[in-house]
Amino acid sequence: MDANKPLTEKESLDLITSMLNKAKQSYHDSGIGPIMWGSVITFCSLITWARFKFGFDIPFDIWLLTLLAIIPQVFISIRENRAKKARTYNDIAMDYTWLAFGISIFLLIHANTGISKGFEKGFGDYFKSSGFRFYDYTTSLFLIIYGIPTFISGGIMKFKPMIFGGVLCWVCSITAVYTPPLTDLLLMAASAFFAWFVPGLIIRKHYLKLRQQGNV
Amino acid sequence: MFKELDPILHSQLRLAVMSLLIGVKEAEFTFLKEKTGSTAGNLSVQIQKLKDAGYIEVIKQFKDNYPQTICKITQQGIQAFEQYVNNLQSYLGK
Repeated sequence: MDANKPLTEKESLDLITSMLNKAKQSYHDSGIGPIMWGSVITFCSLITWARFKFGFDIPFDIWLLTLLAIIPQVFISIRENRAKKARTYNDIAMDYTWLAFGISIFLLIHANTGISKGFEKGFGDYFKSSGFRFYDYTTSLFLIIYGIPTFISGGIMKFKPMIFGGVLCWVCSITAVYTPPLTDLLLMAASAFFAWFVPGLIIRKHYLKLRQQGNV
Repeated sequence: MFKELDPILHSQLRLAVMSLLIGVKEAEFTFLKEKTGSTAGNLSVQIQKLKDAGYIEVIKQFKDNYPQTICKITQQGIQAFEQYVNNLQSYLGK
């Protein structure tokens, strides 16, 4: 590209359009995050479901795996951000969306803990007889929050599987209000699998293809 | 009456750099070099001209012990770019 080459008005406009498109195409998600979270949440939901369904116990709370998953997520985010040669406005929108999601989930767990203490005091016998904790009755609320960043991310990336995934989370959230906690766990697993794991695999495949072509 | 096109922007490489930077929050020198297909020397000179005009901000830092140059468009640069596009449209509409 020559700095001193005289440009016609048409050439200028074509150059602007071409460069704007190149800048727009520089946003790439590696897909590792959605694959990891999709598999962790699906796994934890299914193990919890199996525990109640088949009556076995495990020595620790399986949902602690979600806390452990934060560690690789932090490393992945740092590594991906370091590898990026340009920071797009989509990158910023996605970062804030998922940060808001993480904070909301933490606050929901916190609120649940507070509310559950009061509820279990009042309905202790009921909770003891059912075997479920107060948490297990609030799947619907978690699914509402799962749907928000998924839907927004799908919109930002113009990626339909994630838009549908967000909608699926909300459909499952409505359903979970009317189903028993055991079924709610399956709805949670299905939401995480179809809203994150499957779109994550598609994103990953696309990313690897671009990397092979040297475009990432 | 046609408005004069900004001579700083009316150059192939400088216009390409500005068009890339308007679409991102910030970009590394290597990104601009890769997308414009220019040589490092030529790009450095043009980036300096854009910086001198106040259209871009250049941040030099170290990343993993290697020097890294990051470019960002300034508010003045955004205004100049918008004005340039408006003036271009007046030419194309003739």
